Amino acid sequence: MSTADLPKEQDLVEFRVDRILDEANTDTKIVVLIRQDDAHDTFPIWVGASEGNAIKLALDTMITPRPMSHDLVKSFAEHLNINIQRVVIADVKSSTYYALVHVSNKGFERAIDSRPSDAIALALRAPCPIYVTQDVLKRRSTTNLDAWLAKLETKDIGTPEVQET
Amino acid sequence: MHVKGLMFDPYNNAYIVVLRDEESSDMLPIWVGKSEAGAISMSLENVTPPRPMTHDFMKSFLDAYNAKVISVVITDLTEHTYFAKVHLMYEDSEYTVDARPSDAIALALRSHAPVFANNSVISKQSSEELEQWLENLKPEDFGKLDS
Repeated sequence: MSTADLPKEQDLVEFRVDRILDEANTDTKIVVLIRQDDAHDTFPIWVGASEGNAIKLALDTMITPRPMSHDLVKSFAEHLNINIQRVVIADVKSSTYYALVHVSNKGFERAIDSRPSDAIALALRAPCPIYVTQDVLKRRSTTNLDAWLAKLETKDIGTPEVQET
Repeated sequence: MHVKGLMFDPYNNAYIVVLRDEESSDMLPIWVGKSEAGAISMSLENVTPPRPMTHDFMKSFLDAYNAKVISVVITDLTEHTYFAKVHLMYEDSEYTVDARPSDAIALALRSHAPVFANNSVISKQSSEELEQWLENLKPEDFGKLDS
């Protein structure tokens, strides 16, 4: 991806991970991002169960006895001196969000295509800021997410099961 | 070693990646979690998912700066836990990174890098792990692959 395609700084809105919710009936979890400068603006992203656990482990700053997949990516970055600068939720197509992980090494910047779940799991470990573009914020679903999320929260969220190898 | 296949282990409710040395016929079973097994099976079956899965992203991350996976090595077995190392080549230097075998194997398959196991790991596991697992296996445990 050339730099011309990258979103400009002023188009980015910073979010942080607030919590991870269980979707009781399906094998998915919901990562709830909230806007850094406006805690009422929530941005939910549906992720797979294991991806949700990878984010939850980092959110709870749990140290696992063995490096999990995203710890390994971080470890690669440390060994090769790659700086993980930021992750950006940069696009949405048919309800699927697309993320970019921005990295730099000796002045060379790259943006790596990823799922939001991998990008967020890595951002929490790096650590680096998480942004959503203005464009994605405008185009996100307009259903009443807050009411829907409130309903979900009555179901408690269990501790993730860590599957070790 | 060659990734021979994946099996479901109903006794531990986990998956087993079976590595095999084609020359000596040594087998090395490695227990992995469900999502890790999925990551390995996608590579074995040459499935390209619409969005990059975690290990595809891991490979893109290395590709972004032309870092190459030279090999992965299953280095140790301690108290039923396997340890692995990923050997990388980047700008004429070699780097060795500690990993879980599941991540290392999933990455090796995507990078077309060879998988090795230390001889000590093979001798250790053949004496304990597999026999123990076989002893625990009951006839009714078979045929539950879809669970």
